[in-house]
Amino acid sequence: MRRRVAVTGMGLVTCLGTGVEVNWTRLIEGISGIRPITLFDSKRCQTKIAGEVPTDFDPWQYVPAKELRRLDRHQQIGLVAACQAVDNAGFQTPPDNPYRYAVVIGSGIGGLSTIEAGYEVLREKGPKRMPPMVIPMAVVNLLPGLVAMRFGFKGPNFGIVNACASSASAIGEAYRLVASGSADVAITGGAEAVVGEFAISAFNALRALSTRNDQPSKASRPFDRDRDGFVLAEGAGMLTLEEFDHARKRGAVVHAEIVGYGATSDAYHIVMPDPEGSGAFHAMNLAIQDAGINLEQVDYINAHGTSTDLNDKTETFAIKRSFGPVAYKLSISSTKSMTGHALGAAGAIEAIYTTLALERGIIPPTVNLDSPDPECDLNYTPNVSVERRLEYAISNSFAFGGQNVSLLFRRCC
Amino acid sequence: MDDIEKKVIDLVAEVLVDVNKEHIKLDSKIVEDLGAESLDIYDMIALLEDEFGMEISDEDVEKIRTVQDVADFIKASQK
Repeated sequence: MRRRVAVTGMGLVTCLGTGVEVNWTRLIEGISGIRPITLFDSKRCQTKIAGEVPTDFDPWQYVPAKELRRLDRHQQIGLVAACQAVDNAGFQTPPDNPYRYAVVIGSGIGGLSTIEAGYEVLREKGPKRMPPMVIPMAVVNLLPGLVAMRFGFKGPNFGIVNACASSASAIGEAYRLVASGSADVAITGGAEAVVGEFAISAFNALRALSTRNDQPSKASRPFDRDRDGFVLAEGAGMLTLEEFDHARKRGAVVHAEIVGYGATSDAYHIVMPDPEGSGAFHAMNLAIQDAGINLEQVDYINAHGTSTDLNDKTETFAIKRSFGPVAYKLSISSTKSMTGHALGAAGAIEAIYTTLALERGIIPPTVNLDSPDPECDLNYTPNVSVERRLEYAISNSFAFGGQNVSLLFRRCC
Repeated sequence: MDDIEKKVIDLVAEVLVDVNKEHIKLDSKIVEDLGAESLDIYDMIALLEDEFGMEISDEDVEKIRTVQDVADFIKASQK
C-alpha cells in the first residue's frame, strides 16, 4: 500500500536571499537576483553576470567555523538550507528512531570550484601541496552525509547527480522512499555553487549562457522572443518530506502533499532536448497517472523554463502534447526569470516555490516576458504575479543528458 | 615568543577555530590538549608547508607533540 507524503519543512538559499519568506516576497514582487559577477574577476569571460547568493548569507549561525572552512560553497549553502528545512518541520533531533530518517540530495557538479582551485595548486606548487580536503569537498554524496551527521539521521542516504534535474530526481526518489515505507522522514533537495571562471567559460563554450551583461536583471527571459540563453546561479533548496500520519500525529504544519513523480529519458542527444518533447511529455503524464488525477485538475506548472531557445520551445510543445486544449487554461511560470538557473539545485528551489504557490494561492510571475516567442503561446503569467486558488501543481526539471522529471504537488486541506 | 612561534600559533588557531586562541600555548599538546584529530593534523601540515615553504614527512609528524615542537622543527629545517 502506498503511503501519503507531506511536505512539512522548507529551506532556501538563493540569489534572492536566505530563507523561505524573503525568497517568496521577492519572487511575487518580480524582483530579479541577477547581477554582475563578484565572486571572481570575470573580465576574460563572455558572460559577466550570474545569480550569486548575497553576502548576507550567514552560515555561521548554523555551521561551526572549523567545519565551515572545510566545506565547499555548495555544501555550506546546502547545509544552511537543510537546517532551515529541519527547523521549519519542527521535530526534535536526533530522533528516537534514526534509521527511519533518510537524506537524499542532488547536485549537478558538486565541488567543481574546489576541484578548480585544487588543480591550480597542483599546477603551481606540485602534488605535495594538494589541500587535504579536496576530495571530501568535491564529491556530491558528502552533503547528504553532512546533513545526516548534523541531525543523527541514519536511514537511507545518498547523493544524486542528474545535471539540471538532480534535485528534482532527489525529491522524487525521497518521495518513493517515504511512500513505500522505507523511511518515515526524508530531508531532500539540492545544492549548487559553481559560479567561477571554469563553469562560466565551460557553459559559454556550449553557447548556453546569456551574454546580456549590460542588463543583468533582464538577462533571464524565458519564453521571450529576445532570450539568449540561461543565467548561471548558485543556490540550495531543501524539503522535509514526511509520511502524512507521522506529520499529523505530531501536529506538524503540512505545506503541501507530493502525489506524483514522473521520470523519463529522451534517449536523444547530449545537450539538446528531443524536439518532439517526448521525454518531457511522458514525464508529466507519468506524474499525473501516479497521482491518479485527470489532466483538467492541474492548475499550475512551474516550468523548467531556462531562457534557452530550445528548452522553452520544446517544453511548451511538450505541455501542449500532454494537456491538449487544457494547456491554454493552465497557469505557467518560470521562476528562473528571477533566480537564474541553479543547475542541480533548481528543481528543489522550484519545488518549494510550487509548494508555496499552492499553499498561498499566488502564482509567481515570469519576468522579462515582454514579447513572447510566437512558438511559446501559453499563459506564462507574464511580469506580474496572479492570485489563483490551486489544487494541483507540477514542477518540471529537464537535464543536459536527456533526463526529465516532473513532480506533482497537491494543496493540503 | 619569536615570529615563527607566533605564526605557528596563528596557523594552529586557523585550523582549530573552535579552540580559544588564548588557550593555545607553546607547551600545549596538539592532540591531547587542543583536541586535534587526524584531519586537523593534515590540514595544519598543508598550511605550515605552504607558509614556510618546506616539507613535513609523516615520520617527522610522529615526533611532534606540542606547538613548540612544530616551531622547533621549522627553525631546524630553515638552518
